[in-house]
Amino acid sequence: MWLSILGLILGVSLGLLTDIRIPPEYANYLSIAVLAALDTLFGGIRAHLQQVYDDKVFVSGFFFNILLAAGLAFLGVHLGVDLYLAAIFAFGVRLFQNIAVIRRILISKWSDKKEVRESV
Amino acid sequence: MKKKVVSRFTMILFVIGLMTAIQFNTINEPDSRDTRDVWEIRQELSREKQLHSELLSEIGTLDETLAKYEEASDDSPEQALKETVQELQQEAGLTEISGPGLQVNIEPSQEAIVTGQNIEQISPALLIRFVNEINRFKGIDLSIDGKRIINTTPIRDINGRTTINGKPIGTPPVEVKIAAGSMENAEKLYNYLKASPILDNFYIDNLSVDVMQPQEEITVEAYSEELMLEHLEAAEEE
Repeated sequence: MWLSILGLILGVSLGLLTDIRIPPEYANYLSIAVLAALDTLFGGIRAHLQQVYDDKVFVSGFFFNILLAAGLAFLGVHLGVDLYLAAIFAFGVRLFQNIAVIRRILISKWSDKKEVRESV
Repeated sequence: MKKKVVSRFTMILFVIGLMTAIQFNTINEPDSRDTRDVWEIRQELSREKQLHSELLSEIGTLDETLAKYEEASDDSPEQALKETVQELQQEAGLTEISGPGLQVNIEPSQEAIVTGQNIEQISPALLIRFVNEINRFKGIDLSIDGKRIINTTPIRDINGRTTINGKPIGTPPVEVKIAAGSMENAEKLYNYLKASPILDNFYIDNLSVDVMQPQEEITVEAYSEELMLEHLEAAEEE
């Protein structure tokens, strides 16, 4: 777990220190990509907690979701329909659901532990 | 197995962190970057220097006035005050001004007369351009058709007639009198106006501009209306 957070810190500091910028026109795509990535991440954590984690699903889902979201946004820009809203909506809803499931699992684990301790 | 999961999560989190940081960088780009090149900065510097020298000369005049007051305070403070009032009135354009200057006549062009076209008034836009062109020179007093141009003078169309200070000007020929302060300045202004592209703009409106030779003595009329300064307030000192 700590190694993963180290990865996050490493990524953030690398991004901030190298001062990479993308053209402002593409900032929309990147924001959607970040959202998709977060969605996949929480999906992965949930799957892991529910013991249904699959390596291939997780990694392929990560890249596929990002590409799909950016592609949808791109298509939306060219068709004049705000399709990126669909992506934001879908990812946003799923993000909340995943986090809710994670919370429940953690709470039930915690109360189970407590019960075990009390019974002892 | 466990190790693999952690490494996957680390990788994904690394990518997420990188993307977030890049997004952060992109969004937080400073609003306006300083893109002036050396030349533009030089120009700005020269503008500021000019302002500096103007302020210095103003300080000089004010010091002079102060000295005058101090000198006069013993015998006649009233006289000094009157002189200041006179100076200020002159600066505001409330007094007649005589001195070296030149006269410019705006007349209907020969072509318009020959072909029998209607002689129209000078349009406000053209007149404003003309006044701005003359105002490039500092320390100039001018009147158009007997109407003195001061700092607050409006030149505009009122009910289809071109007016200055709210009074309509006549149809051409119209006399423009310019007091330039010194003969040297008058010469400069003469040369400048002679070569100015504004004359072509007059020609489009079937008007020709005749810039006369500078004269030693020219009289610019005083501003005849009452100054309406109800919306002006003294600036607060910083």
